[in-house]
Amino acid sequence: MTSFRLVLNSLVFHWRTHLAVLLGVIAGTAVIGGALIVGDSVRESLKTISLKRLGGVDFAVQSPRFFRESLASEISDAPEFQKSFSSLAPALSMTAGLQRSADEQIHRANRVGFWGVDERFWPMIAPDSAPAPQDRDIVLGSETAKALEAKVGDQISVWVELPTSIPRDSLLGDREKTSQELSYTVSAILDQQTTASRFRLNPSQQMTLNAYVSLEELQYSLELGAVRSRTGGDEKPARVNALFASAGPAAETDAALGQGEELSKLIQSKLTLDDLSLRLRPLEDKGYVALESEQMILDPTVESAGRVAAEKMNSEISPVLVYLANELANAGDLEKLSMYSVLAGVDRNSLNEKPFGPVTMIEGEWPEQMTADEIVLNDWVAADLQVHSGDKIRVKWHVVGSHGELPEIDQFFTVKGIVKFEGTPVDDQGFTPSLPGVTDVETFSEWKKPFEMDEDRITDRDHEYWSLFRATPKGFLSLEAAEELWKSRYGNLTSIRFAPPEETSLADFTDSLRSAIPASIEPREAGLAVLPVKFQGLQAAQGTTDFSGLFIGFSFFLILSAMILIGLLFRLGIERRVSSIGLLNAVGLHENQVRRLMGSEALIVVIVGSLMGAVASVEYARLMIYGLTTWWVGAIGTSELELFVSPVSLVTGCLIAVFVAAVAVWWSLRRFKGHSVRALLAGNLEEDSRVSDSSGRPKKIAIISAGMGAVLLILVGAGLIPDNEAFAGLSWKVVMFFVVGMLCLTAFLNGLSVWIARDRLSAVQGHGSTALGHLAVRNAARNRSRSVFTVGLISSATFVIVAVAAGHRNAAVETPDFNSGNGGFRLIAESSQPILFDLNSEEGRRKLQLDQTTDSEASALWQKTEIVSFRYKPGDDASCLNLYQTKLPTVLGATERMIERGGFKFVGTSSDNPWAGLNEQLPEQDGLPVYPVFGDMNTLQYSLHKGVGDRIPVPNEETPEAWLEIAGMFDGSIFQGVLVASEENFFRMFPEQQGFSWFLIGTNEPPPAGLSRADADKLSGMLETGLDAYGFDVDRVADRLYAFLQVQNTYLTTFQTLGGLGLLLGTIGLGTVMLRNVIERRSELSLLRAVGFRNRSVGSLVVWENLFLLCWGLVSGTVSALLAMTPHLVSTGADVPWSSGLLLLAGVFATGMLSVVFAVRQAVHTPVLSTLRGE
Amino acid sequence: MSDLSVRQLSKDFSTAAGTLSILKSSDLELNRGESVAITGPSGSGKSTLLYILGLLDVPTSGEYELLGEKVSGLSADRLADVRNQKIGFIFQDHHLLPQCTVLENVLIPTIPGRENAAETKRRAEELLKKVGLSERIDHRPGKLSGGERQRVAVCRALINNPVLLLADEPTGSLDPRTAESVGVLLLELAADQETMLVCVTHSLELSNKFPRRLDLQDGKLVEV
Repeated sequence: MTSFRLVLNSLVFHWRTHLAVLLGVIAGTAVIGGALIVGDSVRESLKTISLKRLGGVDFAVQSPRFFRESLASEISDAPEFQKSFSSLAPALSMTAGLQRSADEQIHRANRVGFWGVDERFWPMIAPDSAPAPQDRDIVLGSETAKALEAKVGDQISVWVELPTSIPRDSLLGDREKTSQELSYTVSAILDQQTTASRFRLNPSQQMTLNAYVSLEELQYSLELGAVRSRTGGDEKPARVNALFASAGPAAETDAALGQGEELSKLIQSKLTLDDLSLRLRPLEDKGYVALESEQMILDPTVESAGRVAAEKMNSEISPVLVYLANELANAGDLEKLSMYSVLAGVDRNSLNEKPFGPVTMIEGEWPEQMTADEIVLNDWVAADLQVHSGDKIRVKWHVVGSHGELPEIDQFFTVKGIVKFEGTPVDDQGFTPSLPGVTDVETFSEWKKPFEMDEDRITDRDHEYWSLFRATPKGFLSLEAAEELWKSRYGNLTSIRFAPPEETSLADFTDSLRSAIPASIEPREAGLAVLPVKFQGLQAAQGTTDFSGLFIGFSFFLILSAMILIGLLFRLGIERRVSSIGLLNAVGLHENQVRRLMGSEALIVVIVGSLMGAVASVEYARLMIYGLTTWWVGAIGTSELELFVSPVSLVTGCLIAVFVAAVAVWWSLRRFKGHSVRALLAGNLEEDSRVSDSSGRPKKIAIISAGMGAVLLILVGAGLIPDNEAFAGLSWKVVMFFVVGMLCLTAFLNGLSVWIARDRLSAVQGHGSTALGHLAVRNAARNRSRSVFTVGLISSATFVIVAVAAGHRNAAVETPDFNSGNGGFRLIAESSQPILFDLNSEEGRRKLQLDQTTDSEASALWQKTEIVSFRYKPGDDASCLNLYQTKLPTVLGATERMIERGGFKFVGTSSDNPWAGLNEQLPEQDGLPVYPVFGDMNTLQYSLHKGVGDRIPVPNEETPEAWLEIAGMFDGSIFQGVLVASEENFFRMFPEQQGFSWFLIGTNEPPPAGLSRADADKLSGMLETGLDAYGFDVDRVADRLYAFLQVQNTYLTTFQTLGGLGLLLGTIGLGTVMLRNVIERRSELSLLRAVGFRNRSVGSLVVWENLFLLCWGLVSGTVSALLAMTPHLVSTGADVPWSSGLLLLAGVFATGMLSVVFAVRQAVHTPVLSTLRGE
Repeated sequence: MSDLSVRQLSKDFSTAAGTLSILKSSDLELNRGESVAITGPSGSGKSTLLYILGLLDVPTSGEYELLGEKVSGLSADRLADVRNQKIGFIFQDHHLLPQCTVLENVLIPTIPGRENAAETKRRAEELLKKVGLSERIDHRPGKLSGGERQRVAVCRALINNPVLLLADEPTGSLDPRTAESVGVLLLELAADQETMLVCVTHSLELSNKFPRRLDLQDGKLVEV
């Protein structure tokens, strides 16, 4: 006889008990393994979605600049390219607003990805679907077609931003005509599964809006097409702003990083000045060449590249910053003036030698160091103003406001000297970059006016000067002073003039410079960063949320219940064999040896159960995935999840289940420790049942808990508890109510303990149901700790589940509140095209052709409307609606107006206006600037995994240029998925971003006045219609918050459902406890039957006992949870799913009562005689 | 010095009404080959004494030596070893493991030891032959009569050649005829193996078969 043999015998003999344990282990393993498989499935599905989303696109270059289309063919022809890549396609990538008019109804789709494509790009994203669009065809993605309710043959209007070289929010930028309407005919609608339907570069599992047109057609529509010279060559090559490359499977691995570097080097080797919107302007008569930009300003990268090239080529340079002054006037006689004069900031030192000098002074001096209020005038304008050295002049110029307005400011300067003009080096039109429509026209009247000009004040002398010298500067400041006054976020210089070294011809020098400057510019610095989008997409598929952990969390009660059930069933089985255990001890087996035997027996069951559970886990995971794609689709926003079973997860699930079940078994076996062998032989494991009043401690706890709860309620009721934040966004009031709820639960449980203990001391008397009920309570008290433990489990689970259910929120019914997640705003809007003008001012609305109505109601509505605009740098969607791991979310720039306004609910800050924190100066990190930003708590914690004080690199970890430091967290706000910086810092990071594309709309009137829902609806219509050229899309803030909360609510529902299942399983545990009680008391029950109790009465006794414990658990858990959640329940956003909650509790009750049937059967089917004889 | 020596043995129980003394300074001396029956009224402490002698319970005070070894203060594991190697116990309820066959039940006490499995099996078969159960060695306890079960329990108690055989009402649940045969068997086997036999019983028939009889009166052992 061996231990193993004994274990095997026991396994076979006690198979019924082991089967129950086995089922418990199977359930536990299924839930744990299933959760892991769900995690795997989400990750693998996201990878699949990434691959579908990108098709053949492995690398992408998406630039704010428009570069030569021929760059693509130059690169793809290179042998180095052909080694690692298979194809490269140019494209135009834009964001557009689409409209389809039908039956006086307009269907809109805004923020649509609008792509100009040709036969090089099309096969990468739509290999087997519709042919590439030609002429005025437009191919719509499935979602776009759905939004427009469009079909093949329909006419579609597309509003798209007009490309511009000069930034619209700079002085000479074109602010009036910003977008263009294009008309197309739908030639095909893509299937949802086609890559082109879902193509986007930022990872997201949600479907996107896309539309495709012919590249060539779009180029011509937007004046980006090739312009042929008369001789036949390209005068102006066709332009694109995106490149897409295919490289094959290697691009899905780490190798993509190396391939990206290779492609970047290839781009750099083929880059020309033209690709960078730069030009070299040789001025042969002056003997130098000027580097100018089509955007009229040289950005710091170009400036730096120019200086590097000059140093390498031993060239003297003269950097220049010119600005247009509206008026120069003699400070002593303001009528002596000159209109629309160019002033230049120059480095005086560069003017000493040829070709930039020397200069000849007529009066005064031109010192090397001039102060900020000193100026040198040429003798032409000095004569016009009749000023001399030492006189003061007043200079007026426009500055560019944050909403494209051009307020005029003035400043007085002291004339330091008068410089001889005509025929000298300062008589040079090369100071000012050429600007078509301005510098090349004969008269002021021909100017392509970027702003209103006061032509009446232009003097004849001004006309004459323009006619002779055009935009040649009339006055000169020091370069530093000019930069201080007129620099913009785009750069500090308008040109750099290069002098060729001695003995080098200007032509040769210009040629050398043409290649030297691009060679010094990294593609990423020029906005031509190569992104390994497929690799990044697959990396991001690791997901923001660990669904394995999430589902283990959701299934916590299910796992806990399964394990408790395993423990209880195992214990039940062992207890029935307790005398056998005693026998083993009696014949000399050590206590540990016996436990090992029992443990081995259990372990075999657990291992077999876990292996069977592994199979069940696949089915459980399949069910969960079905749930995620149907009932709980709100949590993930896609129905494309597929089951993916990883052997590692199966094994891990088994191991975890074995461990957890082993703990449950160990816990059960502990019970047998310390019992005397004699007691074990007698089968006696009961608590000492001698009557004693041991309710002292529970009584104290119950009284203290109830007392403290009552005191706290009184304090809250009297308003003595502050409503400010305690921690994690929870107010003291909310915390207090939760504490009251917990105290209530504690009081209930200890109260039960006290009550049943007291009842045991009183006599069971009377007859009928009353006496039976009394006897049932007495029976519940037979093993008081077991009863209280069981009720504790049920009430705790009920508490959590009811509290979670009560936590549902519906933002759609929440009213605007300054200090809430909606910040007091009614509407939120986004535009496809940036809007420059101030929507709050009449002037701004006039420029946008809004507010044209004579409707007094509409005018009144505008009067009380406040629109807060935000700068917008698109990035990853980091909201909880996106399952992918995001790196850098969309960043918003908050204006000073917003920062001063404040509002919204913050977590972890006590400041009156936390928004002021956005203006804080932070010390640099590793030589890089650090900017404070705010983010929503959900976005930061669950999507970005960041907290206050953490930093995020911009634009990426590999080549950071700045850091964003989390300085504050919004709580449940409309800012989910984005980060908010100050406007000033925003422009430091993203100077190329123009205008505003993100808006919050509320009222400037204090409550109760303000925007009603009807007002909001009307305003929404006015804005969407009036700004359709900008693709202006308005949503109710409440609806947007509702969408965000849907995720949270869906998670709560998932938790509630799985938790409910756990509670049901736990209730079966209650049945097991009942069964144990009945088995232990079978002789007593037999005695009752022997003395004349009918089977029905004995059954009722068991039912009453179960009913009593079950009801106590359910009622105490529910009441305590509702008490804890009172602040939420009375708030406007509470949206408690009462029906499903009640259904769940009813299900628990029914299961509990059903499980007691087994106990009743055991009670009434035990043979009376043999049981009594056994006694 | 006797092989079994108990001196001044007392056992008290705490109750709500106060301390209840079951055994009061009882003494017992016994040598190998000696058999003794202990009688006494219900609740007099016979079984308690037997469980203390079998190291399944501990006395409140007093000394207990078995083969010269003081067993009163031994650890639980050491007590288990002593029980396994030196003591055989026969319970009124026989306590056979229902999942094991007759042979396996007899062999249960050999599990902790390191004896040759074939040798222990041979010995078990021999014992079962002696008690007339050689035909039923593969049967499970559920298939046996009460007397047969008790005989299996006797074999189990003797499998490790104990020096002390304790029997707690071994015939209590048997009919008179079977009880008679079990009693005779017990005495024969004890004599064969030179084992000290202590038997607690209510049965006069059984106690009269023992050469020495003790009566437990008021917590003390009195020679009859």
